[in-house]
Amino acid sequence: MDVHIDHKVLCDLREIMEDGYLQLLDTFLEDSERRLSQLHQAKDAAELGMAAHSFKGSSSNMGAVGLAGLCQELEDRVRQLPLYGIEDLINRIDLEYREVQQFYGSERERISAG
Amino acid sequence: MAVESVFSQEGKKLTIKIKGRFDFGKHQEFRDAYERQHPVLDSVVVDLKEATYLDSSALGMLLLLRDHVGGDDSDIRLVHASDDVRKVLAISNFDKLFDIS
Amino acid sequence: MPANQALRVLIAEDGAADRLLLAQIVRRQGHEVCTAEDGAQAVQLFMQQRPQIVLLDALMPVMDGFEAARQIKALAGEALVPIIFLTSLNEEQGLVRCLEAGGDDFMAKPYSPVILAAKIRAMDRLRRLQATVLEQRDQITRHHHHLLNEQRVAKAVFDKVAHSGCLNAPNIRYLQSPYALFNGDLLLAAYAPNGDMHLLLGDFTGHGLPAAVGAMPLAEVFYGMTAKGYGLVETLREMNAKLKRILPVDMFCCALLLNLSFQRGTVEVWSGGMPDGYRLSAAGEVLGVLASRHLPLGILPPERFDDSTCVLPLAEGERLLLLSDGVVDSGDAQERLFGEQRLHQVLAANREPAQLFDELMQALARFGGQARDDISLCDVRMLGPDGAAAQAVVYSDSGRSSPLDWSLDFELRGDSLRRFNPVPYLVQLLQEIHGLRPSSGLLHSVLSELYANALEHGVLGLDSSLKRDAQGFSEYYRQRAERLAAEVGGVVRIGLRVEPHATGGRLMIEVRDSGNGFDVASVLARSPQAQGFCGRGLNLVQRLAHSAEWLDGGRLARVAVQW
Repeated sequence: MDVHIDHKVLCDLREIMEDGYLQLLDTFLEDSERRLSQLHQAKDAAELGMAAHSFKGSSSNMGAVGLAGLCQELEDRVRQLPLYGIEDLINRIDLEYREVQQFYGSERERISAG
Repeated sequence: MAVESVFSQEGKKLTIKIKGRFDFGKHQEFRDAYERQHPVLDSVVVDLKEATYLDSSALGMLLLLRDHVGGDDSDIRLVHASDDVRKVLAISNFDKLFDIS
Repeated sequence: MPANQALRVLIAEDGAADRLLLAQIVRRQGHEVCTAEDGAQAVQLFMQQRPQIVLLDALMPVMDGFEAARQIKALAGEALVPIIFLTSLNEEQGLVRCLEAGGDDFMAKPYSPVILAAKIRAMDRLRRLQATVLEQRDQITRHHHHLLNEQRVAKAVFDKVAHSGCLNAPNIRYLQSPYALFNGDLLLAAYAPNGDMHLLLGDFTGHGLPAAVGAMPLAEVFYGMTAKGYGLVETLREMNAKLKRILPVDMFCCALLLNLSFQRGTVEVWSGGMPDGYRLSAAGEVLGVLASRHLPLGILPPERFDDSTCVLPLAEGERLLLLSDGVVDSGDAQERLFGEQRLHQVLAANREPAQLFDELMQALARFGGQARDDISLCDVRMLGPDGAAAQAVVYSDSGRSSPLDWSLDFELRGDSLRRFNPVPYLVQLLQEIHGLRPSSGLLHSVLSELYANALEHGVLGLDSSLKRDAQGFSEYYRQRAERLAAEVGGVVRIGLRVEPHATGGRLMIEVRDSGNGFDVASVLARSPQAQGFCGRGLNLVQRLAHSAEWLDGGRLARVAVQW
């Protein structure tokens, strides 16, 4: 059992997206870079919470279960001030995203290779 | 049921009981009470004991009943009418067509 | 209706990947998709594309989903445009906000195509249901307007007929709710050729068009026969027979008919099924009631119809108040009825007759709080002998063919005396003479008086001195009815002789009866005041005709009319 990716979800996505699967992967990766920078640049708890919420939604749709879980954790966490130790959680999200990015990168190559 | 009917085979007598307001709302039920069954009726009793009110469409229904069971040769009794109901029947002089008691 | 009809679906979602995915899911389910990246775009697209279903992300930049939902719902108006919120909001507050903003359902991430398809189908059903309800509502509204319009037209037509009479006479006050006709109420008044006034207040069973349908033929009979000089009895017989013929068994018409004779100071009444009318003094005291003594019109076949009327004296200034059952039968919230007692209180409290209707309507409003639309009131005042308006009769021919030299003799016996009133026929016949047309009212009065005297005193042997007071009056008419009901033995002979003169002509009328005659000299010698109600007929004839004499011991009346 992969803690990062739900392969069943990915399999369904491929079927649903048909020819658009590659585009979906690219879009998700671009989207995620933007979400990550929103996380880092957030000026207050509300902005942070909103970015975490959106990132959670898109990761869950993409089967990135580990990432979605961490975003959920962050979303819950920002509701309780003070935001002590929050940087640590954001770093874990960064790390988890690297995993996901690598996986989708290789998935991308595998598909393009046919 | 706001309109109940009992048929006595022996006397070929139909008793129709009206409960509550006797107005156009009872039209179908009242017709059903005498039209559905009984090919031959010697007499009909309309029991108004529990009728609280009677309007002109009820008078019309009584005329239909009278027509159905033979018009001038019919034997229809209206019984147990309250004072209010009796008054409506009296203004219209329905005692000239029906036996009211 | 196909279970899966293609819909236009608007998707508003700020995440590009989520948007791409959702659009593909919905498209694969056979729908047409348009997408927006934020709430403001979504509202714009909604206006341009008018999608049937909207999927909205709750949290979006520029304008969030809540505000977009509110604006879209407002733009949609009465039509249901279902909004499904796309959200992984899981706290209660967020879900409540979605609903309050107008959301109809939620869809959580990650998206499940199966659940989404089911939700879109469910929302489509709701949408269609709402559309059907709206369509039916609009249809009902259209039909309702249509119906009201038809009623307006029908009422306008009917008013032309109803008001062709003399409801606007100075001695009549009336009040009818605007659509009383469609509750079956009918009020008609007309002058007879002799100056009498006929008045009818009727109430058909039922409501709406069926109740109004019978009014037209009834009005026709009323006006037609009144204009031709028929009395109440003949008019009643004809109305009853006509209604019996045309109405279904369960429909009938309660009616109160009056004949006010200003010349005689009497009123003749027939009431079948109407609430009590009231005889009021000039000041408004109740002098008596006009009670219903008959079955309503349209129930009994002609041969069983009871046309017996009663005749009451009515002095100048005295009034009759007629009302429809909408008055006493007005109910309050507890279903108690306004009733006669409250009506009597209003009558007793009335000081100014002109205010009576207002006071009555106010009392009804205080009692029930809501106006009924089936109220008819009529207050008619007795006038003196000169009160009858002059009749403007319209003739359809030029009168050139007037026959001016003829005579006829007319003899009535037995059953004819009981059932037949020859006066209208004779007046009709005399209308052929152009020069007599302006005098048709006079001819009617004179012939009616002479015929009534011959029949009542001559053939039936009734004692006119009975008619001294109200009680004697009813006794007189009771005896009259009784003797007419029995075998009638005598004869009345009517002779008309028309002769041309150089500038006009002369009509001689002779009415002879087989009775015992009367003491002409002593009756004619009495002053009209001393005669009271009795003998007034002779006086009237003398006053109207150019010459009048009674011969053969009062058995033969000879009257001349010149033009």
